[in-house]
Amino acid sequence: MNVRSLNTRLASMNPIAIILYGLIIWFVIAFLIYPNLNIYGEIFFKDGKFTLEAAEKLLSSERAMRSLYNSFILAFSLVVTVNIVGITLVLISEYFDIKGAKILKLGYSTTLIYSGVVLVSGYKFVYGEEGFMTKLLVRLFPSFDATWFHGYWAVLFVMTFACTSNHFLFMGNAIRKIDFQTIEAARNMGASTWYILRRVVLPVLKPTIYALTILTFLTGLAATSAPLILGGKEFQTITPMILTFSKSMTSRDLAALLALILGLATLVLLTVMIRFERKGNFMSVSKVKSELVKQKIRHKFGNIAAHILAYGLFVLYIVPVVLIILFSFTDSASITTATLNPSSFTLDNYIQVFSSMSAFKPYLVSIVYAAAASVIVVALTLAVSRLLHKYNNKWTLALEYSLLIPWILPSTLIAIGLIVTFNTPQLVIGNSVLVGTVWMLLIAYVIVHIPFTLRMVKASFFSLDSNLEDAARNLGAKPFYTFRKVLLPIILPSTLAVLALNFNGILADYDVTVFLYHPLYQPLGIVIKNSTDAQAAADTKALTLVYSVILMIMSTITLYFVYGRNSRT
Amino acid sequence: MRKWTMAALLLILCLVVSACGGNNAGNANTGDSGAAAPAGTSAGTDSSSEPAKNEKLIVYTNANSDGRGEWLIEQAKSAGFDIEIVGAGGADLTNRLIAEKNNPIADVVYGLNNMLYENLKKEDVLAKFVPSWAGDVEQGLNDPEGYYHGLVKQAILLGYNPNEFTADTAPKDWTDLYKNDAFKGKYEAPTLLGQNTPRLVVAGILTRFQDPNGDLGISEEGWNEIQQLYDNGVNAVEGEDFYANLASGKTPLGALVSGTLEQKEEQYKVKAGIVSPEIGVPMVVEHAAIVNGTKKQATAERFVEWMGSAEVQGQFAAQFNAMPANTKAAEQANASVKELYSTLKPQELDWAFIAENMDQWAEKIELEIMQ
Repeated sequence: MNVRSLNTRLASMNPIAIILYGLIIWFVIAFLIYPNLNIYGEIFFKDGKFTLEAAEKLLSSERAMRSLYNSFILAFSLVVTVNIVGITLVLISEYFDIKGAKILKLGYSTTLIYSGVVLVSGYKFVYGEEGFMTKLLVRLFPSFDATWFHGYWAVLFVMTFACTSNHFLFMGNAIRKIDFQTIEAARNMGASTWYILRRVVLPVLKPTIYALTILTFLTGLAATSAPLILGGKEFQTITPMILTFSKSMTSRDLAALLALILGLATLVLLTVMIRFERKGNFMSVSKVKSELVKQKIRHKFGNIAAHILAYGLFVLYIVPVVLIILFSFTDSASITTATLNPSSFTLDNYIQVFSSMSAFKPYLVSIVYAAAASVIVVALTLAVSRLLHKYNNKWTLALEYSLLIPWILPSTLIAIGLIVTFNTPQLVIGNSVLVGTVWMLLIAYVIVHIPFTLRMVKASFFSLDSNLEDAARNLGAKPFYTFRKVLLPIILPSTLAVLALNFNGILADYDVTVFLYHPLYQPLGIVIKNSTDAQAAADTKALTLVYSVILMIMSTITLYFVYGRNSRT
Repeated sequence: MRKWTMAALLLILCLVVSACGGNNAGNANTGDSGAAAPAGTSAGTDSSSEPAKNEKLIVYTNANSDGRGEWLIEQAKSAGFDIEIVGAGGADLTNRLIAEKNNPIADVVYGLNNMLYENLKKEDVLAKFVPSWAGDVEQGLNDPEGYYHGLVKQAILLGYNPNEFTADTAPKDWTDLYKNDAFKGKYEAPTLLGQNTPRLVVAGILTRFQDPNGDLGISEEGWNEIQQLYDNGVNAVEGEDFYANLASGKTPLGALVSGTLEQKEEQYKVKAGIVSPEIGVPMVVEHAAIVNGTKKQATAERFVEWMGSAEVQGQFAAQFNAMPANTKAAEQANASVKELYSTLKPQELDWAFIAENMDQWAEKIELEIMQ
């Protein structure tokens, strides 16, 4: 053990490694700690003294307290429901032998290509006041209340199904790593399907489940569109309030404080999860892995039930997407009344979006930014995860927590913090001014996506078998060579999945972009917002759907290139 | 083994992608430095004072949707100006301008309303400049201190569904909505306070109860009225178009912006009735101003002179169904717009007072008044 730690320490004295780690530390200080502390200082120490006025205001507001409470309720409920649905989806598509699994998988992965307001409106086409399901129910039970779909249960329902993307991607990757021989052995010893799931499959999934639990919790706390659209008066959550406040000069302190509360809650959960992660050894025991063979459910009734469940979920997932695509060919009157009428089908919306050549430039700008930012953020977190995996001391702990700083600030304030900090020459970046350059937006995208990426990349690192690394080392491989040839290929599927998700997330971002984009390079998110803004006179309803469909196509292409092909090898 | 080679191949692919990404970003930057060069050199050439110098102007606006931005770029080009538009929502744009004030990127900002311009003025973001057309603008619309000057008028209107109400049965003023039981639960309350229109509706009511001793400058009676406005209204839902709810009768009463009326009528096949209260309607004016600290002051001044002229504003009004603030240009506005405005009286509003308090009013409403 001693020899090993000495060895690794000597290996880390590699000058390239030192430069690399130096760069990471510089980046963290320059772009994560400094600007964000700066904005906190500006907010809480107005006129040089610290005030607790914001806390008093919030505590005395019944609405704020109730919204905060609701956010936590939603976050905890989602952790349970999303894990259940997410694990079910993965078992159906990867573990059990279900007929037509390939098509089912496509349906389950639809949440990867759309989100936010559009996703919720997709569900509203089905369950909303004018929705197809509601109309059917009213026809069956005339006394049925058409406005049934709102409040806590509606929000929970939509978000439970909408937030399984991460489960689908990352747990899918994890389950494919399970050693089939262990399953076979268990089966030969007479273990039941359920017992194998519990004692063989689940333990291997644990690091992924921990990471996904945190993300789900965070998603619940940050829920915006679903509560805004479906929550109604009785179920309001806190994030919409944070967004409103963060855009007003005088209310920023409230926004920052609320975000801090949510961020700290996430960090507490994270700390608990990190404890769990450290405690257990989650690697599968076998060193010579054989590929997973899909399991037939032997119980006949169980098999039928599983198929019904699988196809039921498929319909549930696919219908909102199909409706969005269909309605993108209609007009606002059809969309608001959710009526599909062949006579109102039109291509005008699409023609309007692509009418001029200049309409294509924003796509290019956004693609370049998204590609650059998502590659940088993955490279950065890979290096950091390697550090965290290799060393376990107070410095790496500090590094890990400082990389999570973006979780404790709303992205609007991160953007404003960057402007306020970097619109004068700063020593930490060599006395240059960043505001007004194209780099500003790139840096912001990287910063905002670090915590999520780190969580996922780190989780896959911690499910690595350290014996592999030792073996490579013993055979004389250099550290970087080992990393490249032995470790990276194993964590690559998850890493690429993160890359794709980040890429898609950046494509249409508005909140960060609007503050930082360069005048000559207008990204897509700005164009979409401008043409679908409430003030715009065009058919904004239809245009929103048209842009969503375009983004869906772009996302699908990305996922196919980065992730889809890989999963098939 | 095959798996590993595949993985290695993917890694190479990944590296290639990353290299491309890096390259593209690099290209983007070289493109930028080329474009930014005039900005940099302009500082140098400015001192040699060549008035005919025509540098590229960076123009911030919230009024570029529906082809208005493209139209202006085109027109400016034929008038010899090279402009680049940064479009964003009014509040976002204001925040961005304030955050950038130590090192401004924008040269000109147009389209924002009085409230936002007052905020910018307070933060020292604007440069004083009185264009020659300032005198042609309708009385009382320009900034008396000479920082911003009016281009286009927008009225914030109370609209109703004509199938549910007639001119006689419709409310006579915003205050009727919560005072008359007939309208309770039938109007959309201005709950989305991140947007401008709801804020102006609130301001239009609150400023009637100005009281220096009251909370945030408003008397207790005023706050009671606002409480009733929210208690008896239907919350707006993010992502829904209010006009759709007016047309369907879900909430037949609520706020409309004059500039979008005609298109909305066409889209929803319902022509909303318009209330014209005795006290008047909040008349928002989109202004033009020069950003303090611009390195292209001379060009920016010439651009504002050109853009606000009766000729350009008249053409704009005819093209986009707008109501110019410039009285000379107003003649060229479309007939239906002129007719609408002939029935409307602008409400007297103290914009400096509103700008100073609006954020805090919104905060108080979010925290204490809304349910």
